[in-house]
Amino acid sequence: MSNDKFYEEITEAIVSLDKEKTIELANKAIQEKMNLLEVIEKGFGAGIRKIGDLWDEGEFFLPELMLGGTIMQESMQLLFPHIGTERDSISNGKVVIATIEGDIHSIGKTIVATMLSANGFEVFDLGADIPAEKIIEVAVEKNVDIIGVSALLTTTMIGQKKIIEILETKSIRDKFKVILGGAPVSKAWVDECKADGFAGSAVEAVNLVKNLLKI
Amino acid sequence: MGSEIFKRGITPGKLPDTLNIEQPELIFEIHKSYYDAGADMCQTSTFGSSFLNLQGYRIENQIKELNESALKNIERACLPNRLIVGDIGPSGVFKPPVGKATADQWVSSYVKQVNFLEQGVDLWHIETISDIEEMEAAIKAIREISKKPIISSMTYTKTKRGFFTIMGDSLEKCVRILEDRNVDVIGANCTLGSDEMIGLIKELKELTNKPVSAKPNAGQPRIDLNNRAVYDQPIKDFVSDIREIIQIGAKIVGGCCGTSPETIKEIKEAINSI
Repeated sequence: MSNDKFYEEITEAIVSLDKEKTIELANKAIQEKMNLLEVIEKGFGAGIRKIGDLWDEGEFFLPELMLGGTIMQESMQLLFPHIGTERDSISNGKVVIATIEGDIHSIGKTIVATMLSANGFEVFDLGADIPAEKIIEVAVEKNVDIIGVSALLTTTMIGQKKIIEILETKSIRDKFKVILGGAPVSKAWVDECKADGFAGSAVEAVNLVKNLLKI
Repeated sequence: MGSEIFKRGITPGKLPDTLNIEQPELIFEIHKSYYDAGADMCQTSTFGSSFLNLQGYRIENQIKELNESALKNIERACLPNRLIVGDIGPSGVFKPPVGKATADQWVSSYVKQVNFLEQGVDLWHIETISDIEEMEAAIKAIREISKKPIISSMTYTKTKRGFFTIMGDSLEKCVRILEDRNVDVIGANCTLGSDEMIGLIKELKELTNKPVSAKPNAGQPRIDLNNRAVYDQPIKDFVSDIREIIQIGAKIVGGCCGTSPETIKEIKEAINSI
C-alpha cells in the first residue's frame, strides 16, 4: 500500500469516529517504522481538520467533535513516545486553559482543550472555577504561548478582564496571547478587555490559535 | 426571570435561584411585574434547581429549601385565574462522550426537584434542553409524580442543514420522540432570536398537530460597559416577530433571554388586538 493510501485510511478512520481502527493504524505505523511526523500530519491531522469542516457544515455536533478529539488524543499518546527527540518539533505551541473563578461551566472549555490538543498543541487544562492569579501562575511556570479563559456567565466575565489587568501590572502582557471563550463573549468585549481574540466554537478556537501563532 | 435578576445585579458565579432564599422580596417583585404585565402564566425561579445542577454549585443539600421558597415567592405574586409553571432547566451535565451523565442520574435528579414543586404548580415547562435523552428523562421524572400538563422545549441552533440541538438532535427527531412521549405542548426556547424562531415554528407546525409554543431570545447579546449582557433588539421588533409566530399557529408565546415585563405587556396587547 502506498503511503498516501495509508494516510487516507487513517483520515477515514478518524472521520468515521472508529477508535479501534484508528488505534490499529497508529500501531501499524509504529511497527512498520514509518515517518511518524508525516503520518501525524497527513493522516491524523487531516482527519481532525476534516472533523472541523464537518462541524462547520452542520454534519457533526458536540458528541462527534468530542469523540473525534479524544480518538485523536489517544492516538497521539500512543505515537509520541516513538517520536523521541522530535517531539518538540510537532508541538504547535503551549496553551493554558481554564474556566474563570466563580463559573463552574466546563463543557465548552473542555471541548476547546480537547480540540487544541488533537490539533497538536500542548494543553494544560486547569478545570473550572479557577482564580485569575492561578491561571497566570501556570502560564508563567509552563512558559505557554496562549492563555485561554472561558466564562459562560455574564456575571463572571469580569474575571477575563482581570487576567489582562494582572498581566499588565506584572509587565508580562506581551509574553502571552490571551483568548476568551464562552457564550456571552463578543468582539466588543474582547476589545474592551484588550484581549487577542475570541472564538464561537472549538473549531474556530483552533483556527484562532493557529492564526495568533502564525501557524 | 434571569434577565431581570441580572439587571438588578447578582454576585458573580452565584446561582440566581439562591435569591429565592436570600432575597425573596426581589423574586416576588419580579414575578409580580410579569403577572401585572398581563402574563397568563409565569415560571418558578427554579431553572437551575435540579439536584445535578445544584451539585455543580455544591449546594445540593439546599434542594428542598430552594424549590419550596421558589413556590412561596411565586404563589404570593400570582393573580386570580393565572397559572404557575414549574420551571425545569438542564442538569448541566452531559452524557458520554461529552460528559459522564447517565439517563438514570438525570431521572433521579429531576424526580428530587419535581417532588418539591408538585404541590404548588399548575403545569410544567421543561426548557433549554439540548439533548433529547435528557428531555425524556425529565418527562419520565415528572410523569412518575405528576399528572399535570407538560410543555417541552428543546433549544435549537440553526445550521446549514436546518435546526438541530448542539448535541445533534434534529427538530424532526425531537418532535417524533416528544409525540411518542405524549407531552401536551411541543416548543422551542432560547438560543434563537425571534426572527430565526419564526422559521423554526413554521417547520414545527408542519411536523406536529400538538399545540406549539415559542419562547425566543430578544436577538443576540452584547456586553455593556458595566459588564452586563444587553439585548438591543427593540421590543416592537420582537413583538412583531411574535405576532408572526402566532399567525403561523403557536398557541403559547413568551420571551426568554433579554425580554422583560414590558415585552410581555406589549405581547399581551398584540394578542388582544388579533
